[in-house]
Amino acid sequence: MDTSLVLTGLSNVVTLTNISLILGGTLLGLFVGAMPGLSATMALALLLPLTFSMDPATGLSMLASLYVGASYGGSIAAILLRTPGTPAAAATVLDGFPLSQQGHAGKALGISLFASFFGGLMSGVALLTAAPLLGVMVLKFGPVELFAIAVLGITIIGSLSQGSVISGLLSGALGLLVSTIGMDLTTGTPRMAFGNINLFSGIEFTVALIGLFSIPQALTLIEHSHGAGKVASKITDRLIPRFREITQLMPNILRSGCIGIATGLIPGTGGDTASWFAYNESKRFAKDKSRYGKGEIAGVAAPEAANNAVVGGALIPTIALGIPGSSSTAILLGALMVQGILPGPNLLTDYGDVTYTLIWAVIFANVGLLLVGLLFTKACVSVTKVPDAFVACAIITLCIIGAFAINNSLFEVGLMLGFGLFGYWLNKAGVSPAPMVIGLILGPVMETSFQQSMLIGNDSYTVFLESPIAVVLLCIAALSVLQATPIFRWVQVSCRRRIKQS
Amino acid sequence: MKMKILAVSIIASVSAVMASPMVLADYSASNEIKVLQGFKPGGGSDTLAQLTQPYLKELLGVDFVNEYIPGATGAIAWTRLTKQSPKDGGTISITNTPMLMTNYIMNDSITYSIDELTPIANVVTDPGIIVVPSDSPYQTVEDLFQAAEENPGTVTIGNSGVGGDDFFSTIIVEQATGLAFKKVPFQGDGPSATAAMGGKIDASFNNLGNVYGHIQSGSLRALAVFTKERLEMLPDVPTLREKDIDVVAGSSRGYSAPAGIPDEARQELIAAFETLKQDQEFQAVARERALNLDIVTGDDYQQMMKDMEDQYGVIWNEVKEEVSG
Repeated sequence: MDTSLVLTGLSNVVTLTNISLILGGTLLGLFVGAMPGLSATMALALLLPLTFSMDPATGLSMLASLYVGASYGGSIAAILLRTPGTPAAAATVLDGFPLSQQGHAGKALGISLFASFFGGLMSGVALLTAAPLLGVMVLKFGPVELFAIAVLGITIIGSLSQGSVISGLLSGALGLLVSTIGMDLTTGTPRMAFGNINLFSGIEFTVALIGLFSIPQALTLIEHSHGAGKVASKITDRLIPRFREITQLMPNILRSGCIGIATGLIPGTGGDTASWFAYNESKRFAKDKSRYGKGEIAGVAAPEAANNAVVGGALIPTIALGIPGSSSTAILLGALMVQGILPGPNLLTDYGDVTYTLIWAVIFANVGLLLVGLLFTKACVSVTKVPDAFVACAIITLCIIGAFAINNSLFEVGLMLGFGLFGYWLNKAGVSPAPMVIGLILGPVMETSFQQSMLIGNDSYTVFLESPIAVVLLCIAALSVLQATPIFRWVQVSCRRRIKQS
Repeated sequence: MKMKILAVSIIASVSAVMASPMVLADYSASNEIKVLQGFKPGGGSDTLAQLTQPYLKELLGVDFVNEYIPGATGAIAWTRLTKQSPKDGGTISITNTPMLMTNYIMNDSITYSIDELTPIANVVTDPGIIVVPSDSPYQTVEDLFQAAEENPGTVTIGNSGVGGDDFFSTIIVEQATGLAFKKVPFQGDGPSATAAMGGKIDASFNNLGNVYGHIQSGSLRALAVFTKERLEMLPDVPTLREKDIDVVAGSSRGYSAPAGIPDEARQELIAAFETLKQDQEFQAVARERALNLDIVTGDDYQQMMKDMEDQYGVIWNEVKEEVSG
């Protein structure tokens, strides 16, 4: 690493203009993230043309801070309205919303903010110190390894099903089934599209996500709105978490941050996947698993630390190799190209001054996020003072705008409402929509990488055993499935008995 | 200081906008041109729009408004353009070839065709290229083909997806040489190049703009390009034509309007692109953004589309059974 380039980058960021643009970018990101349907990727794409006339350092600082802000912003709506603002915040709903129902909205938001800050900071530091080293790792992940990751991800479904495992598996299977709608990668033939070209590219999972989580919530609010009690959340408690809470959560945040960085590193997986992985691991390591899904602060900290850590993680291959680690970083790469910087491994050397500016901007944006978050999140109180029926209408309006904004498609608004009604019925039937979302996210990754692996391996399944990375991941997946079966519990009990006897 | 420059540039561009209609002829058809884009903002089509439209705006004296309608590899936007848009010259679209034709060649549910278009101008063509990992045993394109001859159907070649230009150029090469490759589709040129860099596939049929940086830095090696003549940027890389394989292919982007727009509007649009062809500044900016200009206007662009439609239609009919098998 060239120290002088690192310092040039630092001095490029620390100017009055850039610092104020970073704060502005973070605030804008916060708003965009909080709006359901508007993802960080979309905001970056829309802001991109504005940065053409700026100099590289200023433009990149603003884009990076927008990305960081949006990664946290998604959790605000998730916690207060049970509507994930971004796909990456879907896991935050599980414990964040129960917390706010219990009157701890402030606590949940505070934990989310601090976890996001630490996660983002970790990934920024990783980016600064390890980018060239970690970048090389990325090339080891091809279709075979991606398939193993997707299989491991699918096993999360088992531990996410609240209540009955059977209904969880059913929901997950439905998600996988719906994810097969659209063009088959290897044949170019549309499947289950009924000749409707709107379905040729498959179902945009953000559309399904908005419908499944938000519409049922709005309908439930309306159902209960004639009662005197107010179901939507207020921030009545303090926002800044106690020092003790933070220190207790620290191991969890560190673990989730590492998960986020690793998931971000791998092209094809992003914040949406990382947050579920982190949530699952947090639950796996917890002493009292029963509190998850009912308002466990660790269940908020884990996904939030992870999805902000993805930012730096995803930038590592982008910077070290010129390979975007996520759709958002693909747009950042586009921003570099517009500035006349061609993607490739020479980003760290030939264009080091601009690249290190971007890295420092990510680190500063996280500090900015903490400041802006502390000031702005309190303003969300006003949102929650509105009567339930109005909140419900606002949620539905936001959902419709969000679903339309993704592809400017009215068809997808209808699709979103369809998923909404289905999700409402699932809720009534006691089936959690979370496994279905996992199926939708990982289904296409799994199918694509499986088909590619089989082509590469000449139709032989042994291709999965030839890659050490894939073998390790598949073994973890097998263990994770076994862990949920009675056999494992029996082994555990008998082991414990034997230890006690000796 | 930077803010001041920004402010000055805003004032400058605002005054340029206000001044332009006075000095230049107005576009006869409308005050505003809506551009339907079949892909997400920030992608390749958008890059073209951001490059071209500021210049067109000055030449035609109208504002350009982008509308992004992604989905079905552009087919939703192109169906909207041909079937549901006013034919007054106020709505045009960025047309990506050969995707524009392969969409409906491959799928009966996609019902538009190039006969329902008024092709205006092709603007850029990103030439096709064969790349291998830097540690690949294949030093030349002959090495690669020889390996495929010795072990038919096992040499893995990545492409950007079934229906894309790379997929079809692989088939053209197969037909010209009598070889059989293992075609591995990826979701776009980027993932295909990444898989080649990691040595997950033997080679990738890709496009120059996506891999040029990686070739420069040595993480990928270029074996051949699919152009008529060798490229200025890569003088040591042979064309397939030199190897007696007649493949000239790439991914092109241009502008088209619906069929039946007023002839006056068509002429004005074509004239604007003809002016751009001579514009030194425009060419410099395009080079800076690694875009390979290939401006072909009016009837020539229409002929280019027709030729591609014929060529790719024939190829697809030949391989249809094998692919969907």
